[in-house]
Amino acid sequence: MNPPVTEKLRASLSQGKWDQAVAVLQRLDPDAAADLLMSLPFEQQQLLFRRMTPDLAAALVAALPYYHAYVLLHARPVDEMSAIVDRMNPGERLQFFDELPEEAWQRLMDELAEKPPAGAAREGGAALEELPAVSRAAPAEPIIEARHIEKSFERPDGGQMQVIAPTDLSVEAGEIVALLGPSGSGKSTLLRILSGLTPPSAGDVLWHGKPLAESIPNVAIVFQSFALFPWLTVLENVEVPLLARGMKHEERHRRALGTLASVGLEGFETAYPKDLSGGMKQRVGFARALAVEPEILFMDEPFSALDVLTAENLRGELMELWTGKKIPTKSIFLVTHNIEEAVLLGDRIIVLGRNPARIRADFRVPLPQPRDRHSAEFLLYVDYIYKLITQPELQPGPPSERPAKIPYQMLPHARPGGIAGLLELLNDHGGREDLYHVAEELRLEVDDLLPIVEATALLGFAKSDKGDLEITPSGKTFAEADILARRTQFRDAVLANVTLLQQMHRALTSKSDHAMPVEFFRDILDEHFAALEVQRQIETALHWGRYGDIFTYDPETDRLLLDQPVSSADAGSARLH
Amino acid sequence: MAPPVEPKSLAWSPSSSLSSLLRDLPIVFAALALLFSFLSLARYWASPVTAQAPIQLNPGALPRYALFSLARIIIAYAFSLMLTLVYAYVAAHNARAERFLIPLLDTLQSIPVLSFLPPVMVSMVALFPTRQLGVELGCILLILTGQVWNMTFSVYASMKSIPREMAEAAQTYRLSWWQRFIQLELPYSAIGLVWNSMMSVAGGWFFLMACEMFVLENHDLRLPGLGSYLQTAANAGDTRAILWGVVVMVAVIVLMDQVVWRPIIAWSEKFKFEQVEASQTPHSPVLDLLRRSRILSRTVRATVAPARETLTLYFGRQHASSRGGRGWTKWIARLLSVAALLGVLYAIAKMTGMLAMLSRPELRSIFVGAGATFLRVEFTLLLAGLWTIPVGVYIGLRPRLAAIAQPIAQVAASVPATALFPIVLLFLIRLGGGLGIGSIVLLLLGTQWYILFNVIAGATAIPTDLKEVCDVFGLGRVERWRRLLLPGIFPYLITGFVTASGGAWNASIVAEYFRFQNQTFSTTGLGAVISHATDSGNFRVLLGATVVMAVIVVTVNRLLWRPLYALANTRFKLEG
Repeated sequence: MNPPVTEKLRASLSQGKWDQAVAVLQRLDPDAAADLLMSLPFEQQQLLFRRMTPDLAAALVAALPYYHAYVLLHARPVDEMSAIVDRMNPGERLQFFDELPEEAWQRLMDELAEKPPAGAAREGGAALEELPAVSRAAPAEPIIEARHIEKSFERPDGGQMQVIAPTDLSVEAGEIVALLGPSGSGKSTLLRILSGLTPPSAGDVLWHGKPLAESIPNVAIVFQSFALFPWLTVLENVEVPLLARGMKHEERHRRALGTLASVGLEGFETAYPKDLSGGMKQRVGFARALAVEPEILFMDEPFSALDVLTAENLRGELMELWTGKKIPTKSIFLVTHNIEEAVLLGDRIIVLGRNPARIRADFRVPLPQPRDRHSAEFLLYVDYIYKLITQPELQPGPPSERPAKIPYQMLPHARPGGIAGLLELLNDHGGREDLYHVAEELRLEVDDLLPIVEATALLGFAKSDKGDLEITPSGKTFAEADILARRTQFRDAVLANVTLLQQMHRALTSKSDHAMPVEFFRDILDEHFAALEVQRQIETALHWGRYGDIFTYDPETDRLLLDQPVSSADAGSARLH
Repeated sequence: MAPPVEPKSLAWSPSSSLSSLLRDLPIVFAALALLFSFLSLARYWASPVTAQAPIQLNPGALPRYALFSLARIIIAYAFSLMLTLVYAYVAAHNARAERFLIPLLDTLQSIPVLSFLPPVMVSMVALFPTRQLGVELGCILLILTGQVWNMTFSVYASMKSIPREMAEAAQTYRLSWWQRFIQLELPYSAIGLVWNSMMSVAGGWFFLMACEMFVLENHDLRLPGLGSYLQTAANAGDTRAILWGVVVMVAVIVLMDQVVWRPIIAWSEKFKFEQVEASQTPHSPVLDLLRRSRILSRTVRATVAPARETLTLYFGRQHASSRGGRGWTKWIARLLSVAALLGVLYAIAKMTGMLAMLSRPELRSIFVGAGATFLRVEFTLLLAGLWTIPVGVYIGLRPRLAAIAQPIAQVAASVPATALFPIVLLFLIRLGGGLGIGSIVLLLLGTQWYILFNVIAGATAIPTDLKEVCDVFGLGRVERWRRLLLPGIFPYLITGFVTASGGAWNASIVAEYFRFQNQTFSTTGLGAVISHATDSGNFRVLLGATVVMAVIVVTVNRLLWRPLYALANTRFKLEG
């Protein structure tokens, strides 16, 4: 970015010279202008966008991320929107429309079709003159700043296994950061590094500019498992961190009672955690965290152990406390694997990739609170995140500097039954569907859906594209086949595409006794994966191999035995499995 | 920590005060009785040394003896508890110390009590040559060596298994070591500690006879107590006195169970680490009495609560002001570990020297004895399994019967087998059998209960739907045992066998060598070798036999029980 231009823009904004600011943007090429615009607070972006000529706005809509452009576009009256869309060049317009998920696209089409009478727009324009000058505050200093942090663990063979690739990340005041990633992606580890629980293997974490290890950070963590002490009453649990701070009896009591009241636990002071429901327990968890008035409140999947309704209710109450400024907390850092939850709560969403963890996307969600799960804008963001995490090539930022060795193919942890179920559903829906629709229909969390999607892609039964999932011809055959034909087809697909099962099959066929200890393959995998992942890889491979009649597994001896492909003669026995 | 609000309970009304005073009366009496016992104990301990206290066999002396024995066991337990907490805490928190402390614990656990006798006694008597206190301390330490190890292991294992997020909560909220210990680690270890404490104290009663009266080289040492009373009575062949002794011992044990252990178990319920309320919780009237007592709650509020508050705040402030480890503590730790290492090396050198002096017949007796005891222990386990599995399953599958049988079996199990031994032996000698059979009976008496309890618990835990499946498919008796009952109780059975096996090896010392009616009965076995070596002061043989026993016990644990245990926890685990 060009410093003098940035300076000029900020100067115009601070003097309230909005037109001058627009002129600054006008002079830049659209990509640079889009970058510059994105660096401003969203309110200013909106105000600037409203004052742009349709031409400039059209150029920016094409240059901005489509989801952001969509939200900005709706800052203008409908007739102006259609004027802007008209000015976009046809190719870019088509691409813009194509990126939009179904609901957002439908709504835009409806809006463009029913143009209100011209002239109505002028009234909106009149209001633009009373714009306030923006105070020229320096960019906020981050509360926590992580510089190039890494985390590695030692492998059994003595080598290092990197779980977090070098990462820069900062948390600023006034925002809810939602860290989103598939399970096992290292997001909890990242939270533990930022909160000071675990030191990084390399890099620095700064707390208000000073090394975290040398300062006493005022943070609190809400845990997934609540982590309450079952032998202490609700009140005593909340008093634990206050006691640790050496707070005297009366003050401690007063503070704890006040916090408990603020999370709706008045009257439960003398109860024990085991007497409470899950939602109530997590309220105690919140009260314990809020009692210390943390600057940053860390939350590690705080709602995932709760049922859907309770979680929704608790999220709502948390947002009420946060948006109503009823808690002194300056920032919230939320780790979650639930995409909707991230879009519902986050001001900023960071999407992590795995193996090793690295930031794939870091963007703001400028939608006002409280957010409506069914609004087009909300679904736009949900769809975008699905798109991000299903398409490995969609990676912002430069590729990693270190030439990593070619990673061993990783089996997605999906059962054959799940793969068949997904393909059947997709086939019933005409072969193509938005992923978030599929997730909703199957009532699956993204953590459970994603491996199945990856498996269908790996086996060539479906491919995901821009947040949609599309069935392939072979996938269609699979979905419509009977059980036996499916298993044969599955076997062929597996042997054509899956490295581990290819290796297993090759080893079994080449050995004279057609048997092989599983330990052998564990050793191979040990070089590529962490211990837990090795176990899951083997488990998945066993499921797939048994389903595809590639081998049988004998748990007594922990060995694989080659299975003869199912002929029609012994089909009857196979059907029973 | 006081309850948050104190509604009305502070108001003093005459009627409530009278009833509460009546309610507190038992507690007041108990306190007075404790005070009196303490005074008489103090007078006895300060008295000049009488190595050979004359033991009176008239029943009138029994209350005093019971008090002395009880005091020894309680004091030994108190020391055990302190040692346990320190040892387990260090092992759980210091990785370097852990690598040394845990194998050491494993070894110490497998050394029989009597092998500690000579070094402990000699050093204690040397420490307090003129006071009874020295011999007493020796005896107490001896009881301690039989109690402390399993408690330590339990606390260590608990501390290591604290759920990750709980430990992280403690870390992120910056709990001082003290607050962490009091509010997280100790409560988390409480359940295991309580159960192991009960086992340890039962072990104390089991070895009481051996600990209170023994021959060390040519000194015939005896301390006034229940154990020496029973021993003397057995020597004299006084059946009436033996019976009196047994009755008093059982009475003391049952009383302790009701007054101490039941309340503690009921109280420790709150430390159970479960997220939902259990449907059945242990209950103790004594605990209810204590909880309702006004005197007690005031005393607690005036003493314990403020002390805890002050301590926690003190350590909290200290923790907040100091960051990072202090240099000098690290140096002390290093110095200590070097000293410990040197000590161990010296001891190993000494031991090797001693072992090298073992003569060929001595070695032969040790190894033959080891073989005999090995066979005896396994045969005992087999016998115990043969009767406890069917009986335990029969009881366990019938909840109503289990409710009646369990407390009875618990009382039966709490009677130390050693106390019954003179009676059993009297009976066997009349029949014409020797100690060969007698030792097996004694081992059986001491170890079968562990297996029985576990089998009952396992059978109770078999899910009803699995039993119904067997009914639906009309499984025959044999099939039912093979497919459901045996696999179902397997994990429990293994737990029972592990405990029983350890217990049996330790018990072989008292079972294979017995002085009775002024005769020494003994049979071939490692236990007999150890007992005889202690009596005759042959330290070489004692050391050699102890090492062999420790090696056998550790090896059997590693090679047999641990794999079985792992199997029980994976394949035979019934997931609810």
